[in-house]
Amino acid sequence: MKTLSNANPRDLQQAVSLARDARRAGNSASFAGGGSDLLGMVKEGIVKPDVLVHLRAIKGQDQVETKAGRVHVGGLITLDTLNHHPLIHGKYAVLAEAAGTVATPQIRNAGTLAGNVCQRPWCWYFRNGFPCFKAGGNTCFSITGENQFHAIFGGGPSFIVHPSDTAPALMALDATFRVVGPSGERTLAAADFFTLPKVNAARENALGEDELLASVEFPEARPGTRSTYNKVMDREAWTHAVVSAAIVLDMDGNVCRSARIVLGGVAPIPWRVPDAERLLTGQRVTPELTARVAEAAVAGANPLAKNAYKVPLTREIVQRSVLALAARA
Amino acid sequence: MSRPKRTKEISRRKFIGGTGAALVAATAAPAIHAQENAQARTTGSPRSTIHLTINGKSQNVEVEDRWTLVEVLRDHLNLPGTKIGCDRGECGACTVLLEGKPVYSCSQLAVWMDGKSIQTVEGLEHNGKLDPLQQSFMDHDAPQCGFCTSGQLMSAKACLTSHPHATRDEVRAAMTGNICRCSNYNRYVAATLAVAGTGIDPKIVMIDDASGEPFKTLTTVGHPTTRIDARQRVTGKAIYTLDVNLPGMLYARVLRSPHPHANIRSIDVSKALAMPGVKAVITHENCKYIFGAGSIAGGRQYVEEIKKITKQRRYAFNNPVRFVGEPVAAVAAIDRHIAEEALQLITVDYEVLPFVLDQEDALKPGAPQIWPDGNISLDIKNEAKPMRESRGNIEEGLRISDRVFEDRYTTTFVHNAQMEPRSSVAAWDGEKLTVYTPTGGIANCRTDTARDLGIPLENVRIICQYMGGNFGNKNQNQDADIIAATLAKQAGAPVKLEMSRREDFIGMHGRWPTTQYYKVGVANDGTLKALQLRGYSGMGPYRKNSGAIGGIEIYKVPHLDYTAYPVYTNKTVSGNFRGPEFPQGHFGIQSMMDDVAYKVGMDPVDFALKNMSRQAGDEHPYTNYTLEECIRRGAAAFEWKKRWRAKPGSDTGSVKRGAGFAFLVFRSALGRSSAAIDVTPEGRYVLHVGVTDVGAGAKTTMGMIAAEALDVPLSQVDVIWGDTARCPYSVGESGSRTTMQTGWAVIEAARDLKRQIADKGMPKGTNLLSAMATPNPMVADGKVRACFGAHFVEVEVDMAVGHVRVLKYVAVHDSGRIMNPLTASGQVKGAVMMGIGMALHEELLYDPRSGQPLTPGYYGHRVSTHMDAPEVEVIFIESDDGYGAFGSKSIGESGKIPAVPAIGNAIFNATGHRMKDLPIRRDRLVGVFA
Repeated sequence: MKTLSNANPRDLQQAVSLARDARRAGNSASFAGGGSDLLGMVKEGIVKPDVLVHLRAIKGQDQVETKAGRVHVGGLITLDTLNHHPLIHGKYAVLAEAAGTVATPQIRNAGTLAGNVCQRPWCWYFRNGFPCFKAGGNTCFSITGENQFHAIFGGGPSFIVHPSDTAPALMALDATFRVVGPSGERTLAAADFFTLPKVNAARENALGEDELLASVEFPEARPGTRSTYNKVMDREAWTHAVVSAAIVLDMDGNVCRSARIVLGGVAPIPWRVPDAERLLTGQRVTPELTARVAEAAVAGANPLAKNAYKVPLTREIVQRSVLALAARA
Repeated sequence: MSRPKRTKEISRRKFIGGTGAALVAATAAPAIHAQENAQARTTGSPRSTIHLTINGKSQNVEVEDRWTLVEVLRDHLNLPGTKIGCDRGECGACTVLLEGKPVYSCSQLAVWMDGKSIQTVEGLEHNGKLDPLQQSFMDHDAPQCGFCTSGQLMSAKACLTSHPHATRDEVRAAMTGNICRCSNYNRYVAATLAVAGTGIDPKIVMIDDASGEPFKTLTTVGHPTTRIDARQRVTGKAIYTLDVNLPGMLYARVLRSPHPHANIRSIDVSKALAMPGVKAVITHENCKYIFGAGSIAGGRQYVEEIKKITKQRRYAFNNPVRFVGEPVAAVAAIDRHIAEEALQLITVDYEVLPFVLDQEDALKPGAPQIWPDGNISLDIKNEAKPMRESRGNIEEGLRISDRVFEDRYTTTFVHNAQMEPRSSVAAWDGEKLTVYTPTGGIANCRTDTARDLGIPLENVRIICQYMGGNFGNKNQNQDADIIAATLAKQAGAPVKLEMSRREDFIGMHGRWPTTQYYKVGVANDGTLKALQLRGYSGMGPYRKNSGAIGGIEIYKVPHLDYTAYPVYTNKTVSGNFRGPEFPQGHFGIQSMMDDVAYKVGMDPVDFALKNMSRQAGDEHPYTNYTLEECIRRGAAAFEWKKRWRAKPGSDTGSVKRGAGFAFLVFRSALGRSSAAIDVTPEGRYVLHVGVTDVGAGAKTTMGMIAAEALDVPLSQVDVIWGDTARCPYSVGESGSRTTMQTGWAVIEAARDLKRQIADKGMPKGTNLLSAMATPNPMVADGKVRACFGAHFVEVEVDMAVGHVRVLKYVAVHDSGRIMNPLTASGQVKGAVMMGIGMALHEELLYDPRSGQPLTPGYYGHRVSTHMDAPEVEVIFIESDDGYGAFGSKSIGESGKIPAVPAIGNAIFNATGHRMKDLPIRRDRLVGVFA
């Protein structure tokens, strides 16, 4: 591994200052949460930080709190804690389940929510050191290459898929993202936090160079709300989503008051499908309706040469997930 | 058919405390732990002092900020029980408990652990008493090679601490971050459940061959026996090559080609050489040794004769470079990080050449020529000819057939992916060279190393105490050994060469990908008339093995025509991988025959019984023959008629079930090997055998065979292994032949020793009696030995999402007399699991435009996890044909062979879709069903 120095910040403000100061001194800096993914990239030379800002040195940023009708989740909560947290597990199952599908127990014990949301793509071109958009280049090698895991929505010029499981869950919960930077804080809606490659092909979100994701918050669920996360992998554990669906249904008996459906593994950002959601509003959830919902979810899909299978796969996952969730007592 | 004479089921309860073999593994290897810590020397990288509590002991440790936790544990705190399998958080070998929770210690910087409490495998024992999990792992024979065991233990420990009565599914989920490439997942789970008190031990079923000679029960052999080195494997005390540290040792890393094909115009190593801490740099310009075993013409053992005549020499460093990952330069430095940084300072001027990846493309006109002689690999006579075999007249056979079927099957490059990444530690003492290296054949590795370096055989010593998995092409030396030895010579210090997981994937070897074209002619009643295979095998740019495509020989057919082209490509090198030519060939032929069976309206089992060859190559009788019994018994135990769908895909709905079947015949040849036994005045029998024990249990098996032949308890036998200075020649652990061949030598040496004891009495004072044997037994009457088996699998395919789940798996094997049912059944279970992985998801995929490998490593290659592993039921039909050691036949590789086609055939039966390309990935399944 390259030479680097570790910095232990007291708080989030100091963390971003340390990163900014490093850069001002001509050094590169990276924020390390759980660190699992980051260290792999440093070892491969994909990221070359001179300074690692060790965020787990900060205390108190790993809590779940409910204040004024909103649930606040600290960015440094581990995925394992999130998976087992009574409140999240009970009322926001989509997030608990999403956290529980990430990688392996070892990674969930170290990995943080913020790190999972902000992790870099797992496109095999990026991870194998190709000079692609994500590595600061100006090509997406997947377009004419091996693209079976790539985007069917929102692609271009890069066709990566967003690697996070918790991001679709958060978007389905209507979460906002609190960002801390050297000049203060800002809070972004999911639609503003995640950015398509046509906006910025090098990054997956709106974080500035010295900014970090401090916490997320989402509105408290109304009674009758239920949610789930379904993830398809291409072995039984430890892969990113081939396709996933984060579903939140606000139910009144067997009538759906409102729905949010966000897809993972299909687009460079968590991919919300509002047309599909609208079909559910005010309706009894029947197999016929869910078939139309699923069809709407894949409308406009634009597959590459080797990922057309994701279209029927997504359709099926959406249909099954919505139907099963609606039928859940 | 007569009824079996004996059927027994062995449960764990029965055998614990049974033979109670607690045999001391007496090895006195040289002191290999450095007093001085090589890495303690300062490098100028930022450092911090941290406070750690490790296994309950508090201490301050000064670390470089870039050091990982596992690095500090292994290199600086003398806790080598935690292993590095991938260094990327993809395998779990480095799992430790951080504040009681499992984490990957490769994915944590040590400096982040300040103030934390860490438990490693070394902390599981208390006052010399094993943790119940360690004991249970031993009792269940959970560790095979043992390299993943420490990590498995830590995950199991954390699981049972939080869930003392965890269920099977909870245990699998908790341990799924721990890959076991030996794939002994069933046993790891069973061992953990036994401690939780929630498991039922699966039975190993043993049945006598009803057609054979009366089967005599033996005293030691044949009884489930705990490995003699099991304790080392569960306590982290087993010493693997990467654990070897020598005083003053340097660390080496290799710079590898980023291009699939390129001429090296020039290399500038001056900046690397000038870097402080760098002690030696070698390239093709100053290291011109041939790596003989790296390109063995026609799959033959590379020998002096071949070295003289072969036109296509593979060197340790080649120019041109012919695959991504080929060594270009190597650096030895005082620290692994400095060695890595020095690689970045080497500049290479490449002339990039056109490349070709696919074996069929490589034979098309205008394809890039990888060697001047063309892209068909040369054979031992330097001739570019395909492998051929024929019988009868294929044209005539096809003409007289009522129906003729044609199809194309493909298989892909899959990697051995053994848990221990390749490494080598080389040390010179004057002209004498000692190499510690992961090899399953210390004797062959020694011969290879001496020949390649041009030094006398007696000046080379090879040591391999423990080895983290084999699975093929490790009964030789590797280029890593030549490179480490050359660097050590130049630097004047011992050198440890380490390879990353990525380097191991792209720099070593895997299974050759194939394209197979079949034509099959049958009569209307399903009788085979003609069989033609034209195949193409991608060898990479060097022919490390034959490239044959095995499988057609298991059918009885009057007109046969086989042609297989071993073809050079610019992918990484193909070599042995568990049943070298068979799993890929059997996928093709047994899928093809399954398909033909349906098309002529026959049950595939009946079709096999009708058409399988009952003689080797359709002409030589077997020493014993139980294939039919394997199939009939398997079909009964599996309830084939109940699970198999007469009409494929006939289940209603999206989720469909179906059953598949395939069978196997695998060589069990005899051959030369050696063993020596001493007896001491105290009555201890010291057995010297040149085995390593790659994971299959050879040390224990050899000890059991010696005990049986000497008529003493196993506890009176000490086994010396893994060191050419202390062990005679051994055939080496490839071809699944150690038990048969080295075991035979053990018996002969034991008989000699018994005669000496009878003549002279037991030795007295400081004397020993010694016997050594090097038999080269032959099978009489032109007969052929083979092991047999039949596999039956039921799958459930969710067609809408392309998901395959294995519901039931029954594997029936005749591997002759089973020496140790515990280890033998583990071999079958692991092989089956590897076969399932090969069938469903494993692949080293290449980018067609750049020639770059895209899926190196456990994550990318989709190596099976705990969650992927079904319970595999193993049934042994035992026979004693009078050969092998006590009638033993081969086993280790065989179980993988039918697993691949059995899965494909089951998917066909469930869905009605014939999947002709491996792996049968989700995208392909959804693609055909959509």
